[in-house]
Amino acid sequence: MNALALNSVDTASAPRASAMGAYVTETRYELIRMIRNPGIAIPVLALPFALYGLFALVIAGEAIDKDPNLGIFLFAAFSIMAVTMQALFGTGVTLALERDMGLLRLKRAQPAPPAAWVVAKIASGLVLAVLAYAPVVIVALAAGKLALDVGQIAAFSGALLVGTIPFCAMGLMIGSLASGSAAPGYANLVYLPGCYLSGMFFPLPQSMYWQAPIWPQFHVEQFAMHLAGITKYQYEPLSMAIAGMLGYTVLFAGITVWRLSRKG
Amino acid sequence: MNNPQDQRLHALDAVRGFALLLGVAFHAAFSFMPGWPPGIWAMNDNSPSQFLSDAAFVTHIFRMSLFFFIAGYFGRLLYQRLGAGGFWTNRLMRILVPLIVGWVILYPIIGYIWTVGLTKVFGGTLPPMPEMPKTPGAFPLAHLWFLYQLLWLYVAAVAVRALVVRLDPAQKLRGFVDKLVTGSIRTMIGMLTLGLPLAAALMSLSFWFYWQGIPTPDMSLIPQVPATVGFGTAFAFGWLVHRSSDALKAIEQRWLQHIALAIVATAWLLHVVHTEPMAQPGQTKTLFALTFGAAVWGWVLGLTGAALRFLSNYSATRRYIADASYWIYLAHLPVVAAFGVLVGHWQLHWSVKYPFILIASFALLFLSYHLLVRGTVIGQLLNGRKHRIWGRKPETPSPSPSPTSPGPGSPGPFAANTAGGGAVAQLRGITKRYGAVTALNSIDIEVRRGELLAVLGPNGAGKSTAISLWLGLIEPDAGVVTLLGGEPQDIAQRRMLGVMMQDVEMPKELRPRELVALASSYYSNPLEVDETLRRAGILPFADRPYGKLSGGQKRQAQFAVAICGRPKVLFLDEPTVGLDIQARAAMWTSIRALLADGCSIVLTTHYLEEAEALADRVAVVAKGRVIASGSVDDMRALVACRQISCESSLTAEEVRSWPAVVEVALEDQKLRITTTDAEGVVRRLLASDSRLARLEVRQAGLNEAFNELTREAA
Repeated sequence: MNALALNSVDTASAPRASAMGAYVTETRYELIRMIRNPGIAIPVLALPFALYGLFALVIAGEAIDKDPNLGIFLFAAFSIMAVTMQALFGTGVTLALERDMGLLRLKRAQPAPPAAWVVAKIASGLVLAVLAYAPVVIVALAAGKLALDVGQIAAFSGALLVGTIPFCAMGLMIGSLASGSAAPGYANLVYLPGCYLSGMFFPLPQSMYWQAPIWPQFHVEQFAMHLAGITKYQYEPLSMAIAGMLGYTVLFAGITVWRLSRKG
Repeated sequence: MNNPQDQRLHALDAVRGFALLLGVAFHAAFSFMPGWPPGIWAMNDNSPSQFLSDAAFVTHIFRMSLFFFIAGYFGRLLYQRLGAGGFWTNRLMRILVPLIVGWVILYPIIGYIWTVGLTKVFGGTLPPMPEMPKTPGAFPLAHLWFLYQLLWLYVAAVAVRALVVRLDPAQKLRGFVDKLVTGSIRTMIGMLTLGLPLAAALMSLSFWFYWQGIPTPDMSLIPQVPATVGFGTAFAFGWLVHRSSDALKAIEQRWLQHIALAIVATAWLLHVVHTEPMAQPGQTKTLFALTFGAAVWGWVLGLTGAALRFLSNYSATRRYIADASYWIYLAHLPVVAAFGVLVGHWQLHWSVKYPFILIASFALLFLSYHLLVRGTVIGQLLNGRKHRIWGRKPETPSPSPSPTSPGPGSPGPFAANTAGGGAVAQLRGITKRYGAVTALNSIDIEVRRGELLAVLGPNGAGKSTAISLWLGLIEPDAGVVTLLGGEPQDIAQRRMLGVMMQDVEMPKELRPRELVALASSYYSNPLEVDETLRRAGILPFADRPYGKLSGGQKRQAQFAVAICGRPKVLFLDEPTVGLDIQARAAMWTSIRALLADGCSIVLTTHYLEEAEALADRVAVVAKGRVIASGSVDDMRALVACRQISCESSLTAEEVRSWPAVVEVALEDQKLRITTTDAEGVVRRLLASDSRLARLEVRQAGLNEAFNELTREAA
């Protein structure tokens, strides 16, 4: 009995140390790969920025000057698009491609902790999200189309960063289920309806309120609105927004981990 | 394999399944409770039942304590097997994820059924709903509270364990506690004392309906005192029972005494519930709380003991039910409530309606388990293992190993810790099909310690399938795969293997040095990166991007990745394809060095000279079967082929038609004849061709042996 108890302590601590190392190393090389091959990310980086410029500065520029809330609404729409799209496509498509390469099969055969892979992808998704968000917020502030104070912008930005996590998880789920060529298609299929039906791009008619909470975008937006204290656009309590984001993250990440550890 | 420990786990699995399924019957009775004001439950049936009320009270005394007791037992078992990291990963996936996902899905459904039911109860108009209490932490956990409570108990148990490990380095305290646990069961003192903390917590309740027993902590995220004390004691005692080697035996021996005392205590409790439903301060309340605590432990120890006594053997049916019980308990509440609402106004006696609800609910729940859960992601999540549902049997029908059954309290599949003889990796009786194609047909292969086993065979023979099984990438349809004495899915086993696969592209942006560093991070005791690069012979191009390497260099980089973790078993799938002669020789040297270090190697190859040069043993696979295995020499002897070469005027076609001739080829004007009867053929050659010249006879190479063997198999 004694020996058994002592052994268990030893074996419990040794693998844990090496597992932590795997998480850090995996993340580091994921970022190195991204830096060395930026081609994949650039189109997704440019799109929200271009759309924000078009809508908020060119088309609705004057309207925003009359109603600053519209400026906040459009800024929220395209900044959420910037971070979530990056998180979704940056992780999902690369994961699907790597599965096609047989790399995941190898990872599964090696003692790679499946979650290390997931963490690395999420970390690189976060970095890409920041890179996509930065130009949107800089342009919004430079053009004077964002009537928020510094604290609110900081809170909003922080909320967006947290909000990328469910989308990283969603990307991983798609990447782990679809092939490299099919992944972008599926990602669009689940992402685009959410942008419209969550009320992110335009206000929903009341008859469609019931379905908004189905979309992760809605919870991310609500979370950001709460944290930045923008009461005009709050439709659900903060706790529900957090629960929604958390629930989706656990669901998507759970499916991914299961899938990676079994199928590759 | 049939060790007593495994048998006991079958029994404990059965108990846990019983406790959960009892919950279904318990909640199904709620619409028949006499005297409940409308609004407490989704339905008030027009045929209330005192009998069901009493039965519900009795089961409610022990069912959750029983569950937490088993959960504590399995909790420690799991912690011992998986270590802290594995334990938490397992518990978060199997408890936290079902809690969150289950709540998100079930709560709206429960709400809907309550709305429908109460509309019916109140004759069409819904009264205003009572609001959630405005206390901090208020949250409607519904029946999933037990998962939430369980997570707290895991946290507490692991914390206490850490503290005890630190404070009691010599194990004196723990040794004493182990004796105390067994002694308290044997003398029955445990039954009387284990309930004391719970009794104290119950006595302190200012508002207590006796019928409710331990008030259900389903309305708050803050752990409630009576539940935490009561279920925490059960969990802790279960944990300690797992520590103590004789405790289960003691429980088994005293099962009847415990149940008998539980029945006596319960009878008195029922009497009080009938005469004085609401607790008043005074002697009765104190006595009720104390008796309640004793009844809890009488039932817990008695039922567990009875199961150990009578249900320790394996039964496929019980196992299936135990597997299903977690899902069924998670999903049951809206189902039983909905049926309760459906039958609530039927003009029938409860003795007809209640069985109907039970049968219909169980039918629906088992069906949903079979169709939606058992073979899917959900089953994987809840049970730790996915079963195949239709058609063929999932695995060997071996009843003994691993109580894999599911759930909130139990650990899931275990690795069998037995390895045959000197074998480090075995496939025993393995069958694997892909659709209609049988890739492997009940084959047995083993790799012995320190040897190189070459697996030869034509394309599609099943070589890669065999390797994939050992790597845990696929699961067999029948048979047992062992790797280093455990299951290949187990990460602890895989930390001891290295692998080089076919058709794998590494990330082209990274350099071999980085690929090796990354792979090294997966192992607990890897080689230095430079040392790995040197041994694999890839230092010259270690800093060139992988995407820019030649095909052969890529294979060498993959070899480096395979050997970086100081593997005990190395799987090399066609390692030297595309290598030039120098690179191949270098890899052979590395492989020989690994063998000299005691590493066991499985190598598949098309280059027969590679097998001849390296292999201790050869297994020839064709059409999903091992058609021959043995040393290289055995292989040659087995087919007894020899090769004759000569210059002759005879044509190849003529000679090919002779008996005992396997193959004839014409090379450089010389006939090369492979035959199983060299003397006979030589005699006939000399007789038929007087000008025969440069006759030579030699033992055939593995190449010829291999062709002969696979042709026979076809």
